[in-house]
Amino acid sequence: MIDLKLDHVSKRYRIRREAEAGAARNPLVRKLQSLRQRSEQFWAVRDVSFEVARGEALGIIGHNGAGKSTILKLLSSITAPTSGEITINGRLSALIEVGSGFHPELTGRENIYLNGSILGMRRRRITEKLDSIVEFAGVRQFLDTPVKRFSSGMYVRLGFSIAAHLDPDILLLDEVLAVGDAAFQAKCLQRIGDLKRAGTTIVFISHDLSAVERLCDRVVLLRQGEVIACGAPHDVITQYQNTAVAFQSSQPPREEMANQQKLVEIGRLAFRDAEGRETSVLRAGEPFTVSLGFTAHERIADAVFEVFFYSADRELQCQCTTEVIGGRVALEPGAGTIEFSGQGLGLLTGVYYTDVVIKERGATEFFDWSQWDSAALRVDPGKLVRGKFYMPCEWRLTQESEADTAAAETTWT
Amino acid sequence: MSPDISSNTITDATARETAPRRVTVIRAPSLSLSGLTGGLVKLAQYSDLLYTLSVHRIKVRYKQSLLGVSWAILQPLSLMLIYTVIFSFIERVQTEGMPYAVFSYVALLPWTYFSTSLSNATNGLVSHQELVTKVYFPREILPLSYVIAALFDFAIASTVLAGLMIYYRIGLTLNALYAVPIILILTLLVTAVALFLSATQVRFRDIGVAMPLLLQLWMFASPVVYPLSAVPPGLRDFYLLNPMVGVIENFRRAILQGAPPDFRSLGVSALIAVVLLPAAYIYFKRVEATVADII
Repeated sequence: MIDLKLDHVSKRYRIRREAEAGAARNPLVRKLQSLRQRSEQFWAVRDVSFEVARGEALGIIGHNGAGKSTILKLLSSITAPTSGEITINGRLSALIEVGSGFHPELTGRENIYLNGSILGMRRRRITEKLDSIVEFAGVRQFLDTPVKRFSSGMYVRLGFSIAAHLDPDILLLDEVLAVGDAAFQAKCLQRIGDLKRAGTTIVFISHDLSAVERLCDRVVLLRQGEVIACGAPHDVITQYQNTAVAFQSSQPPREEMANQQKLVEIGRLAFRDAEGRETSVLRAGEPFTVSLGFTAHERIADAVFEVFFYSADRELQCQCTTEVIGGRVALEPGAGTIEFSGQGLGLLTGVYYTDVVIKERGATEFFDWSQWDSAALRVDPGKLVRGKFYMPCEWRLTQESEADTAAAETTWT
Repeated sequence: MSPDISSNTITDATARETAPRRVTVIRAPSLSLSGLTGGLVKLAQYSDLLYTLSVHRIKVRYKQSLLGVSWAILQPLSLMLIYTVIFSFIERVQTEGMPYAVFSYVALLPWTYFSTSLSNATNGLVSHQELVTKVYFPREILPLSYVIAALFDFAIASTVLAGLMIYYRIGLTLNALYAVPIILILTLLVTAVALFLSATQVRFRDIGVAMPLLLQLWMFASPVVYPLSAVPPGLRDFYLLNPMVGVIENFRRAILQGAPPDFRSLGVSALIAVVLLPAAYIYFKRVEATVADII
């Protein structure tokens, strides 16, 4: 049973150019000219076809501007395709940027009815679900307060809560999970999981590759409005990551650091797993090696090597550095390799971009800097723990045994 | 933080299978009659939204305003007082024997309904950009909700007319019932113009800027402050092409004079309304298809 079918769907946008400098002087004439002027065309989505079966969760991934949001807008009828046909079998609801339908003067209760109806719910159904909506959002005591007095957190929670109670046949999810605190996010994910188990067909559009991999049965990869891969989440996500690196290095280089003197040059950055195999995928909590090649062109008395790990949103997560561990690093001219290794990788599931710096201790000038151009690393679930990172630790159990006078002791690392 | 939401709020798969599902097909937009019926079906599905949004318009307008609902009365009442001062003291207008206050107020009622609807509804799409680009619902609900809110104001303001008629000892006859079909024709007309203007306003914001002037001209081209009989007979056929003429003149006739409407002028208005409404709706639906791209 196919719930959703896109058949050669394309969407063209027209971008109107600003009038050129040599245009007519009279503003009215110029206006008329600009209306007649031919506009540039831009295909946001081009000849896209795919199907989603009932109860299936499909992920759509791709870079910004690859056409993900346009597909979402087409599916939810916000805008119409330029050509092609979309067939939807059942009630479809989109969970995009919640809370946009709130009116500040109205109370929480009135806004639940207003927002619920905007999302296509019947008033009777809203009345039935009112308690559950309020409970989920945790705003019971503010139900009859105008929402302009709500905190931003309450606003967002109430918005999501209404949308989460839509109970559609087909659910479209955008980057909605990026709202609220961690506890609320966990609750949202649980809710989506419940909907999926109840047989809801889901289309999930996200940058959070680990969430896509957890939730989806199949993934579509978009590039410049076209489908370039479709298949098992793990395969498609790996392919995306490979293109992600290529995409990054094809970007024009940033402005060179003025003080950059390449006395030592960065070579190749590679990762090795517990068995010593080279890989682009490591597992959380398991042994790892980060190996960095370099070429020194001069004798360096005290060099520092640094590898930075950034999350997909370009936030620095952690660092391997020779600055704080071990002694002085003296380099002779020639090529070499420096390896960082550990017993338990601290990074949890996700995709990380790396950045490499080689500098002299205490100096503000770098010998070389990769400018976020190094290899991307994916971390898969290994020893999966809750929280933000894996903390390597040992444990030891001590217990008084009744049978034996000697204390039983177990140690594990 | 809060209890686990039980899955009983989710319809389970077996219950889903039994209910028949509606199949929707989305294609490139086109101007067509099938779009008209499809649009009406969707509109019926969202009738609760139209209701909620109209109530919301009324509530928001009067929440945090000191005079509350009396604003609905104040607007036509103050206009009536101004016109009464001008046209019965400064420049005497022939009113077929009626006191000028009630003569003008009875015409200002349908006129205020018309002008309030249009000046609000024209901005209906543009002022809800954040909704229009993020959620789908039949967009005509936005201008329509303003029309319904204005109809509510019309009902409130009508109470003052009753007061005036008691004061001037003007009795109603059975012919006053003709007011119902007349207001219906007016509503069709308002809806048609509101749909057309709100859709056009998305691309050409000039419409919104021109609205106050346009409405002012339109009012003086309608028999609000003067009677139809004041129009030179040679111009009258041309004058009747303004659909508001048939509506306002006949509303006044039915209520104040207790006479049956002039079916010729009312017929012209009805014909214009009935032709205009489907055309405006098809046009609106065509614009709707890509409104999120250009708004």
